Amino acid sequence: MDLSLDDRLRQRLLRVRELGRSEMRPLGLEADRLGRPLPADHPFFERLVALGLGRTRWSGEGEAGGAGGGGTRAVVQLAEEMAYWDRGVAVAFPGPGLGEAPLLALGSEEQRERFLGPFRSPDRPHWGALAMTEPGAGSDVAAIRSRARRVDGGFVLDGEKSFAANASRADWIVVFATVDPALGREGHRAFVVERGSPGLGNFHVEHKMGLKAYESTSFTLRDCFVPDSNLLAGNDPSARRSGFSGALRSFNSTRPAIAAMAVGMGRAVLDESVAFARAHGLLRSIRVQDRLERMRRKLRASRWLCLRAAWLADLRRENQLEASMAKAIAPAAALDAAVAGMEILGEVAGRGDTLVEKLFRDVKAMDIVEGTGEIQRIVMARRLVGLPRDTG
Amino acid sequence: MIDFELPTELALLRDTARAFAEGRLRPRERVSEAERGVGDELLRLHREIGLAGVGWPEALGGAGLGALAQALVREELAAADAGAALALDPLGAALDALRIFGGDEALERFAAPIVERRGARALLVYDAAPHVETHSGLARGTIAWVPADRLDLVVVLERERAYLVADALRFEARRGAGLRAAGASTLHIDGAPIVAEWVSTPGARAALAAARLEVAALLVGVARRAAEFSRAYALERVAFGRPIAHHQALAFQIADMAGAVEAARHLVIDAAWRIDSGLAADEACATAFVECVEASMFVAPRALQILGGHGFMQDHPVEKYLRDARALGLLAGGVDLSREDASRAIVASRGAIALAADDPLEGIEA
Repeated sequence: MDLSLDDRLRQRLLRVRELGRSEMRPLGLEADRLGRPLPADHPFFERLVALGLGRTRWSGEGEAGGAGGGGTRAVVQLAEEMAYWDRGVAVAFPGPGLGEAPLLALGSEEQRERFLGPFRSPDRPHWGALAMTEPGAGSDVAAIRSRARRVDGGFVLDGEKSFAANASRADWIVVFATVDPALGREGHRAFVVERGSPGLGNFHVEHKMGLKAYESTSFTLRDCFVPDSNLLAGNDPSARRSGFSGALRSFNSTRPAIAAMAVGMGRAVLDESVAFARAHGLLRSIRVQDRLERMRRKLRASRWLCLRAAWLADLRRENQLEASMAKAIAPAAALDAAVAGMEILGEVAGRGDTLVEKLFRDVKAMDIVEGTGEIQRIVMARRLVGLPRDTG
Repeated sequence: MIDFELPTELALLRDTARAFAEGRLRPRERVSEAERGVGDELLRLHREIGLAGVGWPEALGGAGLGALAQALVREELAAADAGAALALDPLGAALDALRIFGGDEALERFAAPIVERRGARALLVYDAAPHVETHSGLARGTIAWVPADRLDLVVVLERERAYLVADALRFEARRGAGLRAAGASTLHIDGAPIVAEWVSTPGARAALAAARLEVAALLVGVARRAAEFSRAYALERVAFGRPIAHHQALAFQIADMAGAVEAARHLVIDAAWRIDSGLAADEACATAFVECVEASMFVAPRALQILGGHGFMQDHPVEKYLRDARALGLLAGGVDLSREDASRAIVASRGAIALAADDPLEGIEA
């Protein structure tokens, strides 16, 4: 039993803090003010690459990456710290992004080399992306309607995808489509669609309530040809099944990280609220104290839930319940903090130009991305009471 | 490096406590409640298998284990019967208060006689108001409720001091809102001679923190049991053609209850680990206490609700869990005072607020 940080991670956290303070937070505020994402050619991204960021965690040596040796715990704590400074900017970071997990779980050695290789030590910013969500299919992943039709030498994709982070600037997008909607999940295939593929287009950067620093992009696929060599897990159904379950398993380590981001955002609210309360002589108010105490307590408990789920992931133990628990609880705690923080700032928050108000708009997304709170509860209930899949 | 794995010794201890609680306490939870006690046989057994002395120093014949070990045992016992957990523990947080204020000498002088006589019991009472006044070496006043029918030593803890009384204690029996297995009475202190007195604000804070952690761990146990009982019930009970656990409205409640228990438990572990690691823990204990009270008042009413009308009936134990949890949260100065103490670090902070043990951001200006 040890609840302390090791020195190496502490040093990494302190580096994130420097970057966060000097660059991430100001950029996040600027993007929020301007109402548009940081452009792909922003010099900040060049600097990140020069710092050794924006890389894949794939080592290129066969093994499917994974996060041994305290990996998930470190990821979770670093994610919290990044989100403390600006979660939107953190998502805009170059790198393979959410497309990395399916490539690791489903990709062949050749495919990993081709798509993740350029992220091993990039000389300029590159992005990868993942496109699962559609206008009519969010939580209900099985309902995706983008079609993949077999043609000579590959597939032709048709459909619409929504809310894919960094998609318009990505070198490639891992697109989920179905070969037959009647097959449900069995019909799903994952394709790597490369930038410039004919038929990939209509990129539309959405206007969001918050988290404006990164692009959430919708796009369409029209007769978009994808060669066989870009189909992940090829035509091997068993590899595909185990690969998809691997991709789902990857949620068990990404969910705690998303939850930890909510904790980081909540912490930023807490610190801002304390600073405001102190500056305005409100700290003596018992009501204000109670709000701050509750914020911190709920965030603290949430942090432990994230770390526990991450620890289980690092030990490769079953953690579905714990991962979903963290993801169900932390975003709500962070939103509560933001709601209370706005109350502490009062009319000042109503002006719409404070960090607390920005965080209030940013943080709601955390209960939606990577599985809504409701989906997390369904996952938890499956573990706790064997909730059947058809329960309506 | 963060590692939640319990050392083997503690895992075995927890398992022993669980087996004792499930095998011995749970089957007679209503009997203990009605009889307002656990009986000599259980007191003997609890002592014999080493559960009583987990936190006692070796000089008292204990195992000398730390706060985490005690928290684990308390959770397990309270997951069967929180009142019995109190009745079985001859010292409770009085042990911590004696150790913090008076060291080995106080333990030898005041704790040892309690430990040596089976059935003897000391209790720590937090008297913030204060309701008991001291004058010329005598204490006089009334504590409206203590979870005991009889006590051999009372540690009265205030904001800045603690003192001991043992004689001239009068117990006026009460029904008790909950925790009846430990007894329930109004304690009249009728000019009791003060046997010892210590003045120390840090000492008082640490003793109160220990008392809060004791209650918090017990609350985790009660909440866990309430959640678990109702979960099992919801899988058995059928309505509208399926187990009620498979209606999303209830499935989600069950998920939220499990989450509340786990979140509360982590704050207890956090606080206990800090104590055992020699880190500042007063505020962590206060935080854990508040969370455990809130969690128990979130979980236990929902547990009862899941049983519907059956939950309200005393044929099922859930109404008892709800009462026990509610009563526990009133101890150790209650939740409002705990909130106040948990806020102290925030009010005093200069920079970023630390959330966890040795947070790298602690005290650094954002």
